[in-house]
Parts: sequence; C-alpha cells; structure tokens
Amino acid sequence: MIELSHVSKHFGEEAAVDDISLRVAKGKFCALVGTSGCGKSTTLRMINRLIEHSAGDILLDGQAIQSYDPVKLRRRIGYVIQSTGLFPHWTVARNIGLVPRLLKWPRDEVTARVEELMGMLGLPIEEFAHKYPHQLSGGQAQRVGVARALAANPDILLMDEPFGALDPITREKLQDEMVKLQARLHKTVVFVTHDMDEALKLADHLVVMRNGRIVQQGSPLALLQHPEDPFVDSLLGGLERGLKQAALTRVKDHMTSLGQSLPAQSRIPADYSLRQALSMMLRDHCDRLTVVDQQDMPIGELSLRKIVKEAQLDKVSARDAY
Amino acid sequence: MPLTDALPIAKLNQRTWHPNAVLLSLSLVMLAVIWLLNPVSVAPNRIVPGTSYHLLDAVGWFGALLISLLISALVALALLPTRANYRAMLALVIVMLLLMPFGLMVASHWLVDPGLPQARLSIGAASWSLLFILLLCLVELRLRLGLSRLATTLLLSCVGVVWWLSASLWLQNMALVQEFQAREQQFWRATLQHIQLVSMAVGVSVVAGLLLAMLMRRYAKLQKIAFSLLNFLQTIPSIALFGLLLAPLAWVAANIPFLAQLGVSGIGTTPALIALIAYSLLPMVRNTYIALEEVSSDTLEAAKAMGMRSSQRFWQVRFPLALPVLLEGVRVTTVQAVGLTAVAALIGAGGLGTFIFQGLGQAAMDMVLLGAIPILLLALVVDASLGALADALRPGGHE
Repeated sequence: MIELSHVSKHFGEEAAVDDISLRVAKGKFCALVGTSGCGKSTTLRMINRLIEHSAGDILLDGQAIQSYDPVKLRRRIGYVIQSTGLFPHWTVARNIGLVPRLLKWPRDEVTARVEELMGMLGLPIEEFAHKYPHQLSGGQAQRVGVARALAANPDILLMDEPFGALDPITREKLQDEMVKLQARLHKTVVFVTHDMDEALKLADHLVVMRNGRIVQQGSPLALLQHPEDPFVDSLLGGLERGLKQAALTRVKDHMTSLGQSLPAQSRIPADYSLRQALSMMLRDHCDRLTVVDQQDMPIGELSLRKIVKEAQLDKVSARDAY
Repeated sequence: MPLTDALPIAKLNQRTWHPNAVLLSLSLVMLAVIWLLNPVSVAPNRIVPGTSYHLLDAVGWFGALLISLLISALVALALLPTRANYRAMLALVIVMLLLMPFGLMVASHWLVDPGLPQARLSIGAASWSLLFILLLCLVELRLRLGLSRLATTLLLSCVGVVWWLSASLWLQNMALVQEFQAREQQFWRATLQHIQLVSMAVGVSVVAGLLLAMLMRRYAKLQKIAFSLLNFLQTIPSIALFGLLLAPLAWVAANIPFLAQLGVSGIGTTPALIALIAYSLLPMVRNTYIALEEVSSDTLEAAKAMGMRSSQRFWQVRFPLALPVLLEGVRVTTVQAVGLTAVAALIGAGGLGTFIFQGLGQAAMDMVLLGAIPILLLALVVDASLGALADALRPGGHE
C-alpha cells in the first residue's frame, strides 16, 4: 500500500508538487493524469526516492520511505520508463535478470525467473534472450522493460508513460496485455500518463493533476459521471464523455430478461461494452439488441431507451455517493 | 513492424549511368604522373645529388606499357562501377602496389653501375605520387566495398611483407636499404626506444586522464581550471616545451641527488616523457570526460531506479558504455604521441626521430626517410589496432 499525505516538492522557490494526498490500496492500479509539467512524474519519482520530497509523508506499507535504505527500497519497487532505459551493452536476458542478480539470487533461480518472465511477456526465449536492445522494436523493448521491472517480484510497480513512445497499434496491444497481467499479478501500480483513454482503460483509481496539485481523484466512472472542474471535463473529452463512460460499462449490467416481443435481429455478447452496443445500434438501424452468451445463446435484451434512462440514474447515484 | 515500413520507398538514383568520379580522376592523374614525372634517380654516392630518369629509361618500353595498361584498366572499370568492378579495381590496385618493388628492381638493374659500390637508387617523385594515389584509391575502394578496418589492414600488411622481402633480397642498390643496412642495430634500438617512450607516455596519461576526468565529474570547478590549463599546454610548440623543461630539470638534477640517480636530467628521457605526457593529457582527459558524460541519462537513471549502488552504476553501466569513446581517445592520443616522440630526439631522448635529425643535418634525405617511414607505419598500426578494438567493444556487438 502506498500513501502520500500532504506531500510537496520544491525546486528552489517553485513548487513542482504542492500538497498532494493520495492513497493506493494494495493490488490497485492508480493512474496519474495531466498535461506535461503538472508534477505527475515528480510524484512518481518521489515514491522510489529518485527525488526526495520536501514536505509531507510518503508511507509504504505504513512505514515512512525515509526509514528504508534507498537502494533496498528501489530493489523492491519495479520501475518502467518511456525510453525503456535498457542497458544497450547487455543482452535481453541479462537486462531482465538485473534486479535478481543485485539481490544475489542463486544463478539458476535467476535464469528460471528470466525465462518465466519472457514467456509471460510473449518474448520467445530462443529468439530474444541473446538479442541486444538496439535489435528490438519499440514494443519489444518495452516488454523487456516491463519484464525487468517485474523480475524480482516487487509488490509495487511504478510506470512513467511506459507506452507513450509507441505507435498506436503496439500501444493498444501492450495496454491490453497490461490489463491481463494486472488481473493475474495484482501489483500495486502507480502509472503516469497524459493519455486519458489509456488511464480510463487501465486504472482503478484516477488522479487528475494540474500545476502540481490534484484537481480531482476517484474511480474512472465517478470522474466521467461527475467531473468537478472544466479542466477535468475537457481532459475526459467533453462531449465524448458519454461514450467513454459507455465504454467502461458492460452490456450484461444493463440487459433485461427476454421479453414477449420478437427477439431483435442484431446480437451482442454479454461481456461487450455499452459503447460497442451503441455503435451496433447505429450501424444496424435498430434500438434493441439480443444479448447472447459465449455459446451464442440468447440470454437477454438491451434497449436504447433503457440505456439512456439508466445512465441518468447512474448519474444521480454517483452524485449521492460523493 | 513500424508503420513507416509500409510506406513506399522513394526511388533514388534515377540516373542510370554514373561513373565513379573519384577513382576516374585519380587514375587519370596517375597516368599523367608516371609519364610526366621521373620515377627514380641515381646517385654515385650518398652526398651527391642524383640524376633523375624517365619511366622509359627506368623500366623500358615493356614496363612502361604494362603499368600504363594496368592504369587504363582502372580507368575503364571506374567508368562502370558495379560491385564486381570495384572488386576488380581493388585487385588491380593491390597488384600495382605489389609490382612497385619489382619496377624498382628492374630500374636498379639497368641504371645502377655495378662497378660503383657506393652508387644508389632513390625513389623519385613519380613513384611517391603513384604510391600515394594508389593508397587514396584504396581508401575509396574500401568505402565502396564496405571493407572492415581489419581487412584493409591485412591487405596492406601483405603488401608490406612483399616489399620488405624484395627490399632485403634484391634491392641492395636502393638508398633506403643501404641506409638501413649501414645502421641496422641502431635502427632496431631506436624503434624500441620510440615504442617505449610512446607507451610510457600514453600509459601514464591514460591512468592520469581517467582519474582527472573522474575528479572533474565530481568537482565542477576543477573542470574549467584543468581544461584551460591543458588547452594552454597544447598551444606551446613542442620544441619550445622541451626547451622550457631543460632549465628546471637540470636544476633539479643538480640539487636533488636522489632524483638525479633516478635518471632525471635536463636532457634525455625525463623531459621528453614529461612533455609527451603534457601533450597527451588533453586529448585523453577530454575524450574520457566526454565519454563518461555522454552516456544516456535515461540508462543511468534506470540503473539507479533498479537499485544499483553508485559504484555498480559506474563500473557496470557508465564505464562499459563509455569505453568505445574512451578508446577512441587513447587512439588519437597514441597516434599523436608517435609523431611527437620524433621531436623528442632533439633533446637526446632517442627514438626514430634521431635518424630524421641526423639525416637533415647531413642532407641525406634517405636517412630522413629511414626515420619517417617507420614512424608513419607505427602510427598506422596503432590507429588500425586500437580502432579495431574500439569497434569490437561497441555496446551490443556489431551493428
């Protein structure tokens, strides 16, 4: 668990980070979002003491980070950066095994761990183990970067715009894999990005920052339904917000049991998002869809009127929850 | 796959016929040179200036025709430069380099009177120019064919061995060979001395340079002072520096017996070494400093964030990544020191410079060459071997 309370960082007179408080529960994925220069990277780097904070407390599992030896602290925190920071003179395998070797794991355990991670991140060992970073594509290099961060099995993962430099297709693929990886590993992640869609897709907890301060934080759905500030609203896409919210909602949460009337022609699997459902309605010129399970058997029905009505209800309940 | 790969490749080189202008002009100049300048000169003894002879006199109609044909073939191949033709040109250039000592042999057979034991054959302007242009052709061919430094060095060593053999077996009449044979022992001693002086100076400056560069990284103030001092040292002409060291070192030797026993004196090895080290420090420190600073800050920050201690970061990341640039500094420094050591002969430090200054004093150009050619070869060998080492140590092996 990571806890920041009233943390500030001053560079001379200027406050890069100004009195921020934030709590990331164990196994949760927290995204720091904001325009460049808003202090999100500084916040991240204070957690593994690459930058020392000037005021406030940063607690790791309830203990102030100053009480840890910085080197030992960093070895138990995974760190991924946009430029990968891989060592160009080391092979992929040696890069991945860095932290376990620093921790003096036995040699065969390091080898086994490197192989396990390469498998987990889709890097075939025969093909990649002996390659050097300059022989990798951007996506492959970033996979190695993630593998290196996970090598010593840290509880905490800090990621600083890890997918920012990749082309859109590779980026989306790596984001999808990150979702799967997180579902499996349950790391406590702090993820810095300026891409709101990326944050919405990955995070359990969203923190919007501007000028070193936290503007708003909460679950992605809560922020989408109730942005407190025009800045947050514009980051969330303004008019597009409704669709982004729909993208986070599953069809099965809004379907009704099959009615008396004839089932609709268009079919949609229950685990698709409402956004996909809306798109399908527009494409097929209909206001009702038949919801099917994985075996393509009808299990319910989705109607446009109901989605719109429930979106309003959600809004009311989200506001109540505040 | 990066998206840019999918873009259509712009069609360059639309022109269909483009001869290699460099090789074309070089070979035409060669043709002009061998017919217009004199390839050899013959002198009855060491001091008297020699008589120059034309190509036809030196190697006869047959020889002149052969060399002209070879160069014309080069012209023809340069007009249509395909990869195969570049290879053929490389072969031609090597053949010409190999034939040069045989040409000299023929010339010495025809032109040198066997009745005069002091008579000697000197290499003339045409031969020197031919050699120089052939080497230029080799540089161009090396680039076109993408030959590695090692391959070129090996080729040239083969040529060197053939020259060496023919010089020692058949070219007794050549002035250079005569100069060498007259002082063979002295030559080898001087060569050894030269190498010793260079390696001591470079060895000390490598260690001092590394230490100084590391100190500079720690104390920013030192950096300005050290660089301005070293830059200033570099501007003093070498002969002046040797002269400047003479007085204080002579005083030291006279007044501190312990140091005098160690061999410190106003002339000889000590001032030479001090001056050589002073000159070597700047390129060494500058390159080491830049090499260490140049390492990507992202890589170093990642190293820190992974939990490497500062000594681990230096020895496992910063230093190995700086090594190729650092070695480049050693290369530049060593090549420079090989040349500077020649001047050190002036203050009695020995080395190959001795022959240069003796030869200049006696107006015997061939003796000057006896000093100059090995210095040149030494510099080339150092350049090639350290360059190859730096290439081999590039991060991630070869590109």
